[in-house]
Amino acid sequence: MNHWAFVIAAYAVVLIGAGGLAVASYLAMRKAEAAADAMKGKK
Amino acid sequence: MPALHAFANPARFLKIARPLTPVLFWAGAALALFGAYSGLVLTPPDYLQKETVRILYIHVPSAWLGMGAWSGIAISSLMYLVWRHPLSNLAARAIAPAGAVFAALCLITGSIWGRPTWGTWWEWDGRLTSMLLLFFVYIAYIALARADADRGGDGRVPALFGVAGSVLLPIIRYSVVWWNTLHQGQSIGLTSSTIDRSMIWPLFFTLGGFTLFFGGIVLMRMRAMLAAQKVEARMRRMAQ
Amino acid sequence: MAMKAKHQRLVLAALALVAVLGAAGLALSALKDQAAFFYAPGDLVGKPVPADKHVRLGGMVQKGSIQREADGVSIRFVVEDGVSTVPVTFRGVTPDLFKEDSGVVAEGRFAPDGSFIADNLLAKHDERYMPPQLSGNQHITQSLE
Repeated sequence: MNHWAFVIAAYAVVLIGAGGLAVASYLAMRKAEAAADAMKGKK
Repeated sequence: MPALHAFANPARFLKIARPLTPVLFWAGAALALFGAYSGLVLTPPDYLQKETVRILYIHVPSAWLGMGAWSGIAISSLMYLVWRHPLSNLAARAIAPAGAVFAALCLITGSIWGRPTWGTWWEWDGRLTSMLLLFFVYIAYIALARADADRGGDGRVPALFGVAGSVLLPIIRYSVVWWNTLHQGQSIGLTSSTIDRSMIWPLFFTLGGFTLFFGGIVLMRMRAMLAAQKVEARMRRMAQ
Repeated sequence: MAMKAKHQRLVLAALALVAVLGAAGLALSALKDQAAFFYAPGDLVGKPVPADKHVRLGGMVQKGSIQREADGVSIRFVVEDGVSTVPVTFRGVTPDLFKEDSGVVAEGRFAPDGSFIADNLLAKHDERYMPPQLSGNQHITQSLE
């Protein structure tokens, strides 16, 4: 059994999972804050 | 509690959260990446598990955050139930998806680690089962909080759920002590550890890094929810 | 008025907490034996498991006890936990980490003579981690790889 394959797979999963969480959270924040700022201009 | 009431004001919170978000996020990412690199390249293999032990450096922080996030939810929920801090309700809802992700990463990395070492992807032992249960509880909480908010509820029911779910935390922690399990016992206590010094140090980087990173994520989610609330309130006023 | 309401909520929250903890405690004590992943040899002293019941047996592989059978695939070894021992026979592929003086969890059933016939083996390791040069003379003995 190639142990390095398991190690790389685990690290890849965490990179993708944490990275995906970061991207999703950042995009959600940007979109919501942009909408709120746009409202400020309208009155 | 005057100090806490200060943070209950969204404007005050945002004043701190805005600059703090990138600091936590990038410091966390840097520490975590350095820890991962060290764990992959700079440490020796294990006498028994050989290279697969390197999964420890990412599995342990995932478990730590998966469980720690729920204690954050429980504390925020309790604060909301007792003191009615509007931000504490928000904090719990912001934490939940991130906590669920790390609980899932804990289970997945654990499974990948288990196959070459134990010889199995999954077993229903006390530790694994209770951790899986926690993941399901996260999903239930997210659904419950969403339904409650959509229906215009005040957040009390999800908050009760947030507190009640914390009973899983000591069960997960002590499962390897109370029962015969496949999963090994605790390696790291407050004062001692069963991990050799030459191998333990990257864990401090990944543990610290992931935690700061997690803080950054939670702030992002809270900021998004506060902004959405602002827009919704403005829409409601305009509709009147 | 505000103080009284807050006080009420505190009491309610505390009561809810106590109720949940109590329920969990009851569930746990009911679950006690079923939640064990395996029997240790010491658990079976005076309380044998009926033959033909599919169970798991866990413990350490006794040093020097691994023997390969004549057919080349079956093995015998002894599981011990410092209190008691159980002889085991197994036919099949062993996990990478199956070695003497190391942990094992065997799945199978007991034969009428008290020995254990395993149909699956899992390796169990403890919470110690160290580089190879620190492990001394452990694991230089027979491995099945």
